[in-house]
Amino acid sequence: METTARVTPRTVIGIVLAIFLLFPVYWMVNSSLQGNENLLETTWFPFDIDLRGYQLAIESQLPHLVTSLIVSLGAVIVCLAIAAPAAYGLSRVNIPIPGIGLFVIALVITQMIPGIVIANGLFPIYNSVGLVNTYPGLILADASHGIPFCILLIRAFMVNIPSSLVEAARIDGANEFRVFTSIVLPISRNSLATAAVFAFLFAWSDFLFALTLTSTGDVVPITLSMYQFVGAHTQSWAALMATATLASIPAAFLLIVAQKYIASGVTGGAVK
Amino acid sequence: MKTSTRRGIAFAVAAVSITALAGCSGGGGGAAPSTEGESIELTAFDYYTDEPSHSTMGDRLSDCAAEVNATIDHQSVPYPQYNPKVLQMVSTKTMPDLLMINNPDLPQFAATGALRDLEKLDVDTDQFLESVLEVGKYEDKLYGLAPNVNSLVLFYNKTMLAEAGVEVPTTWEELGAAAAALTQGDRYGFTYSASTGTEGTWTFIPFLWSNGGSQLELDAPEAVEALTFYTDLALDGYVSKSVVNWSQADAKDQFASGKAAMMINGPWQIPALNDTEGLDWGSATIPVPEAGDTPIAPLGGELWTVPASDADREARSASVVACLNSEDKQLETALTNNTVPSNKAAAEELVAQQPEMASIVETVTTAYPLTGDSGLQWNDVNMALSAAIQAVISGQADAQTALEAAQAEVQG
Amino acid sequence: MDADVAVASGATGAGGDSDTKAAAHAASGRAVRRRQQLATLLFIAPAIVFVAIFFAVPVVNNIIMSFQEFTTATFYTGEAPWVGLQNYIDVVLDPLFARLTWNTGIFTFASLTVTFFIGLGLALFFDKTFRLSGLLRSLLLLPWLLPLVISAAVWRRMMDEGSGIINQILRAIGLNGVPWLTSPDVALASVVIVNIWIGIPFVMVILYGGLQEIPREFYEAAALDGATGWRAFWFITWPLLRPVVVVVLTLGFIYTIRALDIVLALTGGGPANATQTYATEAYQLSFIGFDFGHGAALSNILIIVSLVVAGLQLRVGRRPNDLAG
Repeated sequence: METTARVTPRTVIGIVLAIFLLFPVYWMVNSSLQGNENLLETTWFPFDIDLRGYQLAIESQLPHLVTSLIVSLGAVIVCLAIAAPAAYGLSRVNIPIPGIGLFVIALVITQMIPGIVIANGLFPIYNSVGLVNTYPGLILADASHGIPFCILLIRAFMVNIPSSLVEAARIDGANEFRVFTSIVLPISRNSLATAAVFAFLFAWSDFLFALTLTSTGDVVPITLSMYQFVGAHTQSWAALMATATLASIPAAFLLIVAQKYIASGVTGGAVK
Repeated sequence: MKTSTRRGIAFAVAAVSITALAGCSGGGGGAAPSTEGESIELTAFDYYTDEPSHSTMGDRLSDCAAEVNATIDHQSVPYPQYNPKVLQMVSTKTMPDLLMINNPDLPQFAATGALRDLEKLDVDTDQFLESVLEVGKYEDKLYGLAPNVNSLVLFYNKTMLAEAGVEVPTTWEELGAAAAALTQGDRYGFTYSASTGTEGTWTFIPFLWSNGGSQLELDAPEAVEALTFYTDLALDGYVSKSVVNWSQADAKDQFASGKAAMMINGPWQIPALNDTEGLDWGSATIPVPEAGDTPIAPLGGELWTVPASDADREARSASVVACLNSEDKQLETALTNNTVPSNKAAAEELVAQQPEMASIVETVTTAYPLTGDSGLQWNDVNMALSAAIQAVISGQADAQTALEAAQAEVQG
Repeated sequence: MDADVAVASGATGAGGDSDTKAAAHAASGRAVRRRQQLATLLFIAPAIVFVAIFFAVPVVNNIIMSFQEFTTATFYTGEAPWVGLQNYIDVVLDPLFARLTWNTGIFTFASLTVTFFIGLGLALFFDKTFRLSGLLRSLLLLPWLLPLVISAAVWRRMMDEGSGIINQILRAIGLNGVPWLTSPDVALASVVIVNIWIGIPFVMVILYGGLQEIPREFYEAAALDGATGWRAFWFITWPLLRPVVVVVLTLGFIYTIRALDIVLALTGGGPANATQTYATEAYQLSFIGFDFGHGAALSNILIIVSLVVAGLQLRVGRRPNDLAG
């Protein structure tokens, strides 16, 4: 991984691009710092900083932030644990299994189904096995959103793995599982990290499953709890924006860490 | 939220067993043993997610439940997702003991058969305004009671009106003239919500009904007249054309920041208006077509209903509903939410304590339930009328054509 | 073309060795095959179970519902008379359907194309690491990180005709303000713009991952033969990126055509149905109008359209996998 210490033109362009594309995010932070209930009163720069919104947000939203983190990280783990082996199995086009192509098509079809149809279909099932209002229940549901996507994504990367690599390892006496864990997984670091990023984002921003699969206050992620500030009678925009800003911080941090794993040079050495 | 999280954890076990109980007794009180005499937990479900409404409602529920030796598990879900959530509960027979329903949706939910007739549960209805009782009825049976109702009034900026030398309008002609006179610079004389859906549609209904129109005859001359007047204000530039994207909250924001001199809105906006520094506001009943006409505004409000479960739970829930509708509880609700009690005596007391509520209380006495003339067809009317209003304001059609299309859509 | 030759010979070189060895083990070949098939199935099995439980039941229910007259009462009583294809016919013959088709087509095609090119451009831009590139790349994920209710609220404020910041900037440089969300002619474009903004991180991250997979040695070898810049992209980058591009476009299409929350939050489908798509109308039919049979029929039509287009995309994107040996 090359890193340059000097500020190159790319850095400047990158910053300009970020400012341009992230302007709405700036607006969100700007609004959160001004403490206004009425968004029309927001000026383009927070000249008068009023942290009222943050106060409200911190008082009530921190436990839900933790819930969101637990659910999201759990979903990532479940998602990768199921998707990575499946992607590997589906990428081995030289080992034909009759009908397995249908499964790939089925995976694509699952992505076409409206979320609310899935959520409504899940609720009776969850209700009868007692998974409503539980962490495992929500983790599994959020993982379900990511699994077909992650399989398709990781598979697209894995089809490029030369089968000669796999053959060589097998000839050296490794069983299928060892081949998977010692050869395939390390090479697939990029796709696994990319898939992890999306699995996390799907789970983190999920609102529908959180709403449908909970009926008490036990497991309430922040996407649901922030409605405390906007509802039937009042809208506390300052508190809402502050909550969103606060919630973005740990998530952004995790994403920065994950993105370090997406880098070149992983497959090159192996092929040689 | 910390308190409810702790409460939530403490009630986790209770919630699971109650879900199981509800599942068993969905068919009509067979398997579960009678809980008479014991202290039980009743589940209450509503869409008051925001504070302070959430806590004040929770407290009122608990007070009423205590009178029948019960406690309350109070859950709230945001309104846009409320109906799908309730439907899920209907289909899995996991309904709460006390269910809040927004009045336009009552016919649909009552038609499912999942709600109990309150009069059969010995709820006394004598002290209620007749118009309010109508709100909770479906096919002449009373399914829900609204402790509070609301409607729409005309809000105006006293300072701006005084500066322009304009009197508070009482007829359409006066409203048009006032809107014109008050439109100066980048400030509009008047504003309202015309966004897609209920908020925009019901804002127009007072104009429709006061002119003698009906929701099921959208292409009749009375309706065309009303829509023409309503939208001409925007087409002539006295009302911003952006109203097609503004919710009632957005309209309130415009009024509060001085970008509009008058607005049609509901009394629940009053706390925000009072919090706005330098805003001297007043309210009046919505102007009528001709002097002497009666303003007929739509009644809004949330109803508390009792879904079917076992006899004991239903009885206790019914008495909680009755308690929520008692005079003092109604007054309490009205004072915190800026709505109108459905009990006459409480309403008079409200005006005494909060004089700025006088015009809304007056409006409520001649108001009519929002779905009173369309019933189960309200949803079709809602979407069709909303599209028609937007089509005219955005210049895509004239009022006659737009309403004919809307009527065809509803009938088809 | 030299780069391709280098790549191909590298792959077949290793494959050549294992061919000799496999020939020597011909007798136990079938047993090995059987074992490999079993192992592969075991790898895939948990996913099959998962997908069956989480997706099959809702899909089947939705299909059944579309053939029934499903009202709110049905939720309680379970009774729903069978009406066959009537719901589908009603939906297609409705005068709104032509508008819905137009809106859905424009929304999906415009969003996907622009998002793809911007995302590809950004992925290529970040391909060579530079100071702050890691941080900037992560920050550009924020549009997808933010809750939709917040993004929608911010964009609605920014796009307000009178007081929104976008029009303020336009007026400051001498242009007229644009009625972004209030004119039926412009509203669809505005919704497309916001959808593009949200979708860029999706395309960028995946394509960036794909770019990182390409061994740098290929570029070095190509450079030795004089292939740099555009030629390097066309002969090395694009062919190796294709499997990933197919995934991005196929899934991107599916996600875009069923986009619901952002449109509802921005315009509610208005003004006057100017931004109403299959997805938003299906939702409104079912969950606001309580007309579930028609809502389910429309959402199934949406799925069928997705199937057809996705099928075409996968067919076009298929090619012999020369690097898999």
